[in-house]
Amino acid sequence: MSKLVNLTIDDKKISAPEGANLLQVAKDNGMAIPHLCYHKKLSPTGACRLCIVKIKGQRGLLASCAVQVSEGMEVTAFDDELEEARKYLLDYLLCEHDESYDGSHPDEFRELIFRYGLDKKENRLFPSIWKELGYPKDESSPVLSYDAAKCIKCFRCIKACDEVQGKNVLSFTNRGIISYIVGGFDKWGESECDGCGECIQLCPTGAIVEKPHRSEIKIENGICRVRTTCPYCGVGCQLELMVRNGKIVRSNGVEGVSPNDGRLCVKGRFGYDYVQHPDRLTTPLIKKDGKFVEASWDEALDLVARKFTEIKETYGRKALAGYASAKTTNEDNYLFMKLVRTVFGNNNVDYCTRLCHASTVTAMLRSLGDGAGSNSIEDYAHSDCMLVTGNNMIETHPVTATYVKYAVQRHGSKIIIIDPRWTPLVKDAHIWLQPRLGTDVALLNGMIRVIISEGLIKKDFIEKRVDGGMKAFESLKALAEKYTPEYVEEVTGVAAPLMEEAARIYAGAERPLIATGMGCSQQVTGTHNVFCLINMMLITGQIGRPGAGLNPPRGQNNVQGVSDVGASPFTYPGYISVEDAENRRRVAGIWGLPFGELDGEKGLSTVEIMQAAYEREIRGMYIMGENPMLTDPNLNHTEEAIKKLEFLVVQDIFHTETTPFADVILPATAFAESEGTYVNSDRRVLRVRKAVDPPGQARQDWEIIAEIAKRMGKPLGNYQHESDIWDEIAQTAPIFAGISYDRLEYHGIQWPCPAKGHPGTATLFEERFNTPNGLGKLHPVEYAGQSEKADKDYPFILNTGRILYQYHSSTMSRRNKSLTDFANEAYVLMHPGDALKYGFSDGQKVHIASRRGEISNIRVQISDGVLQGELFMPFHYSEAPVNRLTRDELDPYSKIAPFKLSAVRVGR
Amino acid sequence: MSIEEIIKQFEPVQHNLLNILHALQDRHPQNCLTEQALDETARYLKLTKSSVYGVAKYYTMFSLEPRGRYIIRLCVSPVCELLKANQIMAVLEKNLGIRAGETTSDGLFTLELSECLGQCQEAPSMMVNNEVYNGLGEEEVQRVLVRMRRRKKK
Repeated sequence: MSKLVNLTIDDKKISAPEGANLLQVAKDNGMAIPHLCYHKKLSPTGACRLCIVKIKGQRGLLASCAVQVSEGMEVTAFDDELEEARKYLLDYLLCEHDESYDGSHPDEFRELIFRYGLDKKENRLFPSIWKELGYPKDESSPVLSYDAAKCIKCFRCIKACDEVQGKNVLSFTNRGIISYIVGGFDKWGESECDGCGECIQLCPTGAIVEKPHRSEIKIENGICRVRTTCPYCGVGCQLELMVRNGKIVRSNGVEGVSPNDGRLCVKGRFGYDYVQHPDRLTTPLIKKDGKFVEASWDEALDLVARKFTEIKETYGRKALAGYASAKTTNEDNYLFMKLVRTVFGNNNVDYCTRLCHASTVTAMLRSLGDGAGSNSIEDYAHSDCMLVTGNNMIETHPVTATYVKYAVQRHGSKIIIIDPRWTPLVKDAHIWLQPRLGTDVALLNGMIRVIISEGLIKKDFIEKRVDGGMKAFESLKALAEKYTPEYVEEVTGVAAPLMEEAARIYAGAERPLIATGMGCSQQVTGTHNVFCLINMMLITGQIGRPGAGLNPPRGQNNVQGVSDVGASPFTYPGYISVEDAENRRRVAGIWGLPFGELDGEKGLSTVEIMQAAYEREIRGMYIMGENPMLTDPNLNHTEEAIKKLEFLVVQDIFHTETTPFADVILPATAFAESEGTYVNSDRRVLRVRKAVDPPGQARQDWEIIAEIAKRMGKPLGNYQHESDIWDEIAQTAPIFAGISYDRLEYHGIQWPCPAKGHPGTATLFEERFNTPNGLGKLHPVEYAGQSEKADKDYPFILNTGRILYQYHSSTMSRRNKSLTDFANEAYVLMHPGDALKYGFSDGQKVHIASRRGEISNIRVQISDGVLQGELFMPFHYSEAPVNRLTRDELDPYSKIAPFKLSAVRVGR
Repeated sequence: MSIEEIIKQFEPVQHNLLNILHALQDRHPQNCLTEQALDETARYLKLTKSSVYGVAKYYTMFSLEPRGRYIIRLCVSPVCELLKANQIMAVLEKNLGIRAGETTSDGLFTLELSECLGQCQEAPSMMVNNEVYNGLGEEEVQRVLVRMRRRKKK
C-alpha cells in the first residue's frame, strides 16, 4: 500500500497509495461524493449505489466504494448524468422510508434528501409507500430502539456488529422490500446483543438509536460535545460526551483515534448516568455521635488536618497511610503520593493494583525491567497467535477483545486460552486448556518442557538477550525436566496432546502476544505464574517486536497511571525505587525539600496497611476513591482492622461500603467533571476533560489533597491548573519527560517518551530490556500445591471474577439503569455434576461459607463452564460480598491476595 | 426423536444449516420450526440466533407458524394458471373450508400457493408434502383429500 499512484478526479490531480479505496481517497481530498452504505471501518458493500462515478476506459457507472485506485485513473465524480442518477436512487429509497425526524440523532440520509432537493414533494417521482409495508419497530432492547421504517438496508449495522465488534448478532429477515434487520428471533432484547451500540454509531439514518435521554436531545440545538477518556476499564477508549443543559445525554466513540477507533462497550456508551445520579455526595460530612452531619469545606478540611497532625505527633510519622485511586487522574494521584511522602512523611501509599496485577508487574519488573504491557492494543489485530491466560477479555476489556476477534475472524489467527472457567472468547479459540484452579505453574512448565524437548527454542535470542545466556537456560531446562506431559496432565487435568499443541503453536508463531489477566495474577503463586510465562517467552524469543510480547490489560481506567506517577510503597514516579537515594535527592530538589525529609524505607502495601491497622501500627488513614470494604480479601478481617483506626477519611463520589467507617467523608468529582490525564493498558497517556459541573460542593481530588497539605503546614506547591501538576510529573518521572498537555490534544502518547520531540514508544524491549544490564532474566520456578485445598468440610474451590455489565464494586455501574437492566443479580456457577451430587437445582438460593466467613441468598446457576468441584462468583454485588470468603494469605513477592482460590462449602 | 437427536444426525458444520432445518420441520407434527429448534440449531452450529432466523424466514418453504400435517402447495405459475389452476383452488378452498395461507381447524391441512413446480407438461399441479400430483381435475383433488383424511396418521 505504500507505493503512491497518480490519478485525477474531476480534473483534480491526486496521489494516493496504490489499491486504496477510491471513495475514501475522494473524501480525503475534500470531494463530497454522496454515500450511505460505505463506512471507513467496514468492508465495501456497494448497496446504496450513491457513490457512483465514471472511470475512463470502463463502461457504465461504477460504485466508487468498490474500486481500488491505480496509476493514471481518470475519474468523473460529478456531472449532470451522475447527479441525476443519484437523485433518482435517493428518490426511490425515499418512497419506502419514514422521513419523519425527531432531531435526536444524526441522519445522513436526510441530509442527502435536502442536498438533492427531494425534501420538496414536487421534485419526487415516486409516491410514498412505506406505510403500506407494515414495517415493525423493535423496542425490546434495554438500550436501543430499531425502527424498520427508518432503515435503508445498507448493511452498516450488520457489518459493524460482525466486522468491527466480532459479534455478528444482527441479520436480515424476510426478502425484498419488506426485509429488515433482526437481532435474535426478531426480538433484539432476547438476542446475544450485549449493548455495545456499534450499530447505533454507524447507522446512517436513525433506524437504530439510543434509548436513554432520547427525548432530551435535539442534535442541532444546544448540544455541546466534549472529548474525554472512558472511566471504566484500562483500554482507555476515547469518548465524545454530548452535554445538554449541564447534563450528559449521550456518549459516542471517537472515530479514527487509538486505542478504540470509535468502538465502545456497553459501559462506555451507556454507563455515564452515574455521574448525574441523585446519590452523589455533594457536601463534606463529619461523623458526630455516630451520625454523619453536613459540614463546610473549611470545617472538614481543618478537622482532617488537625487529626492527621495529632496522630503523626502522638504515634510518629509511620502511623499514617493512604490508599490512592485507580479511578482518578494522574494529577490527583501524584499529589496524593506527594502528600503521603512529604506531609505524612512515610511511603505508606498504595492502591488497588496490589489486588490486581501486582504479581504481573513484580515478575515483569524483575525479569524485563518494566511492568507495563509491551505492545499496543491494536497489535492484537495483526497477531497470529494470542495466548490468553486467566483473562476474560470479552467481558473485562471488551474493546481489546474486538481486535483479538478481528485477528481470528479476518486473518485466521489462533487463540490459545488457559482458563479453568469457560469465557465467551472460547467460541473463537483454537485451543482451550482448562487446568484446575491454582495449577498454572505446572501447566506452563509443561509447555516449556515441550518447547525445549522439541527444539523450538531460539538459541540466538537466549544468547544475546537473556542474562546468563545458555547457562541460565540450562537451569530452566533442568527444572522443567520433571514436568512431563503425563505428570502435567495428572496435576492440571489438561489432556497432554492439547497442551503440547498449544506449546508448539506459541513457539512457532511469528507475532504471538500473551494477554495475561487476573486468573493468573490473583493467586498466592501469582508472581510465579507470570515468571513461567516470561520464561516461556524469553526462550522462544517471542518479545521485543511489534505484535510479540506480554500484555496485562489493566482493570481500571488509570491503574497504569497511578503506578507510573509513583503512588506505590516501593517506587517513586517512573518506577524508581524509594530506596534509591540519588533519585530521592533529585526529586527533593524538584519539590524544594531537604533530602533528609524523604523517607528512604519502603512503605506498606494495600493489604499490609490493613494488617498494620489491625495491629494498631497504622492509626490514621486517607482513602481516595477506593472501597476496601467490598474489594479487599478476607473482608471480616478488613472490617475489624478498619474499625480500629482512630481516624479515617474517605474521599469519594458516592457512599460506599467503606464510608460508614469514616470519620470524615469528602465529596469528589467524577470523571466527566475533572481535568487531567489517565494512562491506559498500553502506556498511552490520554486526556480527561471536564464536560459538566460537579454537583453541590464536590471538588476535584487534587484540590482537596492540596488543601489538606496546606492546612497541615506543608503546602504541596502552587498549581493553577492540572497541566502545572503534569509538568511536575514529567520532571520527576523520566518516562514522561517529553509529554505535555499541548501534545495530547488530539491523541495519546505511549511512554517512555523521554524528550519533547520523541513520538512515544509503541513497542517495548526492541533493543534491550529495561533491567540494569539490559538483559532479560529467567526465573525457573517449581509448582507448589496450594495451602488451601478442598476437603471434607469445604469441598468446593471458589473462583471469583467480573462480568461485562458491572464494574468492580459497582458503585458506578449499578447507578446506570441501562447496565442494571442487563444484569443486576449475584450468582454462583456450579457444574451439573456437582448439582446432581449435592442435590442443588438451577435458580435455587444457597449460602456459601469458607473458613473466614459466609454469605447467603446466592442464586445457583448450573453451568458446565466450570470444572466439577469448582465454583465461580462475580465480586461486584454488595449484597453478595464474596470477599467475606476469600483469603489474605499473600504472594510473598508482590503481596497480592489469592482471590481466585478459596475452599468453601455450599448449603441450603 | 428429540430436537437434539435430530440435529446430532448432522455434522456440526455451518453448511448443514438448511439440511438441519428441513429435518426439524419435517419431523415436527405441525410442519414448522419452533424457537427452541432454531435455538438449539444455532448453538450446535455456533451461529448467532439471528443468522439462523434470517435463513428460516428467507425461504418460504420454512414456516415458524404451526401448520397442518399436510401442506398442499398449489402451483400458480403461468402454465398452471392457463390450465385453470384457479378452479382447482376453488375446489380446495371449498372442500377444506380455508383460504390460501390458512390451516384447517382439525390441524390436518394447510393450503399454500407455490411458484412453478416444474410439472408444466402435466399442468395443473400441486404438491402434498413431498408428493406431486399432476393433471389435476376436481375429482382427482377430492380423491386425494379423502385419501389423506383416511391416512390420518402417517
